[in-house]
Amino acid sequence: MAHRVDHEYDYLFKIVLIGDSGVGKSNILSRFTRNEFSLDSKSTIGVEFATKTLQIEAKTVKAQIWDTAGQERYRAITSAYYRGAVGALLVYDITKKQTFDNVQRWLRELRDHADSNIVIMMAGNKSDLTHLRAVSENDGQEFAEKEGLSFLETSALESHNVEKAFQTVLTEIYHIINKKALAAQEAARNSGPPGQGTTIHVVDSSDAGSSKSSCCSS
Amino acid sequence: MKGLRHSRSSSSLPLASSWIHLRSLLIVASATVPDRGSLRSPWSRRKRKHALSHRRWHMLFSSEGKFHDGGIKFIEKVRSGLMGLSAVYERLASLSLDCYDLNSSHTERNVTRVQIRKKYETLRRKCHQLLSHCHKGNRLDTINEVSNSASSCFDEHCEFHDSQDDPSATRNIAEGNLYNFKVDQSVHNGSDLFSLCNLEEIEDEAEIVQFDNYPWGTESSTSDEDEDETESLLGSSISEMFVQHDPKLTRIPSFRGDFTQYNRTSEDFATWQRIIRLDAIRANSDWVVYSLNLTSVTKEKALQSAASVGLKSYEHLDPCMIYHAARMVAVLEAYAVYDPEIGYCQGMSDLLSPILTIMDEDHEAFWCFVGFMRKARHNFRLDEVGIQKQLSTISKIIKCKDLHLYKHLEKLQAQDCFFAYRMVLVLFRRELTFEQTMSLWEVMWADQTAIRSGIRKSARGRIKLRAPPTDDLLLYTVAACVLQRRKLIVERYNSMDEILRECNNMAGTLDVWRLLDDAHDLVTSLHQKI
Repeated sequence: MAHRVDHEYDYLFKIVLIGDSGVGKSNILSRFTRNEFSLDSKSTIGVEFATKTLQIEAKTVKAQIWDTAGQERYRAITSAYYRGAVGALLVYDITKKQTFDNVQRWLRELRDHADSNIVIMMAGNKSDLTHLRAVSENDGQEFAEKEGLSFLETSALESHNVEKAFQTVLTEIYHIINKKALAAQEAARNSGPPGQGTTIHVVDSSDAGSSKSSCCSS
Repeated sequence: MKGLRHSRSSSSLPLASSWIHLRSLLIVASATVPDRGSLRSPWSRRKRKHALSHRRWHMLFSSEGKFHDGGIKFIEKVRSGLMGLSAVYERLASLSLDCYDLNSSHTERNVTRVQIRKKYETLRRKCHQLLSHCHKGNRLDTINEVSNSASSCFDEHCEFHDSQDDPSATRNIAEGNLYNFKVDQSVHNGSDLFSLCNLEEIEDEAEIVQFDNYPWGTESSTSDEDEDETESLLGSSISEMFVQHDPKLTRIPSFRGDFTQYNRTSEDFATWQRIIRLDAIRANSDWVVYSLNLTSVTKEKALQSAASVGLKSYEHLDPCMIYHAARMVAVLEAYAVYDPEIGYCQGMSDLLSPILTIMDEDHEAFWCFVGFMRKARHNFRLDEVGIQKQLSTISKIIKCKDLHLYKHLEKLQAQDCFFAYRMVLVLFRRELTFEQTMSLWEVMWADQTAIRSGIRKSARGRIKLRAPPTDDLLLYTVAACVLQRRKLIVERYNSMDEILRECNNMAGTLDVWRLLDDAHDLVTSLHQKI
């Protein structure tokens, strides 16, 4: 198999792709990892993932991106995969107001099931469909600022801002981890035993399968 | 009775020609299917040698259209995978046989055929009402209204509530709190009952529903002349379809207990309508070749059908795929109304798409789908009890067969077999081609039917199947699929993620006959333990 486990990277970051059905999550993923786009890509059943290795500030970072089913019904299964994620790309469709309105719920999902320090990028996808636009870029920007999220409008079809969105998230994660590592070193020097801040769960597959049935009532 | 006479009198001429048409179509199609001779499975060779011919197929029936032997021979044929490519026509039968009594005659099937068409039309009318309701007020503002309508169509009076004046509900939705639909439902007295009785309804349908499929040679087209007759046969209210008939509560023991969980979903009919349309336009376009009428769909007809179900965003599709998508919407919506406990869940379109491809009439496809979903619906349940149970059975099979592999999975904390989730949920649809999918499904169908109708293993079969029929053939097949990769998994995979990726990338790499061979071996050796 081609997917031999390699250790030719400095960091492995787990990112989750979330958002309503049909906003283009799978196409964002395929555009980013394989530079592919398909108009009739099938709905995601459960979870799928893909990886891509890239350079961030001279370090090799492997991004493991988990693509999740958008339908509410799959929430219990997909939310199990939030564990161990250090970043999230929360996608809505700029031509469907409802998918933007639901961003709030997705944020709640993340708050309930993901690490509290997770880096979140909100992406208004399908920016190429300007004639069908239902959510202004300004509204997206304002919302993101209010919630403290990064924000970009993307187009998986035109390959616009997709790379940048991931790059932004991964860079931010890298900075946080760097800062944590420094702080931990500092703490270690000062107090002897290793500080807790050094534990970074980037891959936590052990949690993934076992807690699928956890209830996500809010 | 006018309707019945009508349908009987105009019998099989158009079908004979369409049969020939289909046969020739399939010969063309078969040329594109990889030569199975290069694959090692002994099944593939047997299959070609002994495939059921059209003539033999007809010999299975008496002049009244009854199976001579109650269907034993036929089911044996299907179980041993002998239907073959040339028998796709008969496949209609195997799928639709799920819907009626194996011992029914031509005439009996005719009667019910009229009934079920009418029932389907009633469901479609309800969908239309819900859709126009939704369009009236535009998007978000009316979701709640439609939700109320959706729930109200199961209440006794079958009338719409008008909740347009309820701004709080609208606000709730805008804020992302869509819970009000299910709460509304519980306000309707005994909303949990409606789901129960609805399940019962499905069970009932499975027994009484019968409809003609082409091999019996009745006309399949619908006629308006039937309308009045069927109306009186059925009664005009949809509520009759949801009358409670002594629900077998034991069949779904967890449902009542989990009602709070059922409530927690925010999904409503409007959501289903939206997602159904999303998925309908994402069907497999490479299947067109297997369809009898898709290739001849004119643009005008396609646009018309799209408009009739309110389909949008299909500009990139060919007319035949627009038409297919519109049919998907019609049948899936009707199913959501028919089985509101399940409604619509992504993945269901994967199950319907092959059925629609080979069936020209929506109402026939619908009842086939209902029969099909009788088992599959448990996988789509909100409380996940169904899917969990199935995955744990797979886990058990692997444990019994290959403890070493199981221990490795345990080490990776993958022993719950979650990596097989998609295979179980959509019955290998994402992994297999159309032809392979149909082959697997019909063998599975035959096993289940053999159990339901009490047909046990017979020594008379051309191939003496060692394995007894099982309801869980799918699970044995999934286990076989995992076991075929045991070396890879044990030696090279160090996390659940890697196994999941392997499973998600299996499309185009599976040999369905070898899988079935292995699955049957597993059944033979393990069925008593599992």
